[in-house]
Amino acid sequence: MSKRDEILSKLDVIPSLPSVVMEIYRQVQNPDVDFGKLSEMINYEPGLAANVLKLANSAYFGFRKQVDDVRIAVARLGTKRIAELVMTVALSPMMERGVKGYDLPPGKLWEHSVTTAVGAEKLAEVLEVPRPDYTFTAGILHDVGKIVLGNFVGVDVEEIVNYAYEKQVPFNVAERELLGIDHAEAGGLLLRNWGIPEHLVEVVMGHHEPEKYNGDNVVLSLVHIADTISLISGFGIGLDGLFYKPNSDVLKKYRLTSRMVERVASYMVEKLEELKKVMFS
Amino acid sequence: MVKVVEIADMKWAVGNGNVLITYALGSCIGVVLYDPVEMVGAMLHSMLPLSRSDPDKARKNPYMYTDIGVELLLRKVFDLGATRKNLVAKVAGGANLLDDKRFFRIGEKNYMVVRKILWKNNILISGEDVGGSKPRTMVLDMSTWRVTIRSGEKEYEI
Repeated sequence: MSKRDEILSKLDVIPSLPSVVMEIYRQVQNPDVDFGKLSEMINYEPGLAANVLKLANSAYFGFRKQVDDVRIAVARLGTKRIAELVMTVALSPMMERGVKGYDLPPGKLWEHSVTTAVGAEKLAEVLEVPRPDYTFTAGILHDVGKIVLGNFVGVDVEEIVNYAYEKQVPFNVAERELLGIDHAEAGGLLLRNWGIPEHLVEVVMGHHEPEKYNGDNVVLSLVHIADTISLISGFGIGLDGLFYKPNSDVLKKYRLTSRMVERVASYMVEKLEELKKVMFS
Repeated sequence: MVKVVEIADMKWAVGNGNVLITYALGSCIGVVLYDPVEMVGAMLHSMLPLSRSDPDKARKNPYMYTDIGVELLLRKVFDLGATRKNLVAKVAGGANLLDDKRFFRIGEKNYMVVRKILWKNNILISGEDVGGSKPRTMVLDMSTWRVTIRSGEKEYEI
């Protein structure tokens, strides 16, 4: 069995998100989704409801007035936004754990994912491009493949880093050459297995190499840049360090300036503090 | 006592036996100043080179910016009783993405700002591990007065 096949065979044994989360996610794809039914599904899981309300009341997603009823939160934030909160809450326990192989202590992958998510949204504002409504979720999900390779496969990341260093190639290229798959593809395939919509799978798979996808994928570009800014800022930087190569065509196309990078980076610091307090205190 | 310096943060300690540590230096820069005779030390972990890019944020969170951060770090060690003749300065981090010639270069700029401000204050850097693309953890052990860098499985003194 090749290394790649061995890794692919692991995808089936990784527990999926709770079925109610997947169901909520499916429901909101439907433009005629019923608010009442959606609220009921969230309320059905007491832990989920409480955490969704906590996030909904955070300054980031925020209301001026505290809301303690899921139905009101759904009505005010809209179903798409609520689905993003549900996904964030559901993924947090998995993201919060350390990722062994990548040398990420507990909490660090969560910090990287959250800063990428808020950074991608801020970037849309800074670049003045319309922000598709799955931007936040894409940011949260983009590195899920590190959990697959680091915790479930237990790859030797040190060896991959040494290879990247010697050949001066990006870390994801070194992963592919040594394992037959990189964390971006592994993450995308896991999410596809779980039944996550294809537009999100595509962003996860392409987040280091947006050039692989034809056409204009705004979320992919936003996540690619926000991921890079989060890494250089040190959020969830693991053994792989800064062994990545930003796509210069994407940066040129959006006319990214260092001033913009700095605005997004400082925004990440502020929002991370806020969301950490909400989620873990 | 072990004190952890977070991202955009500064910590200090007085007396023998303390440890100052900062994790996850990417393009961020870690600067440590200490006086082993007076037994004081302080460490900064800053993110962005120049505070003029956003003066409002710099007021709220000065350690986010390398220029103000290093000034405050200097002020802190002198306030704690460090003397110029014993002061040791060491620097780590300032890493860059692969092939980053144009867009980010924050690591390189952070390092330039540290050098410039220390130079202006007549302080020479006596140990450093900067640039490249690897992640770094920097530790000041205030019992041995050694500064070590950890990167993956490697550990070495600077």
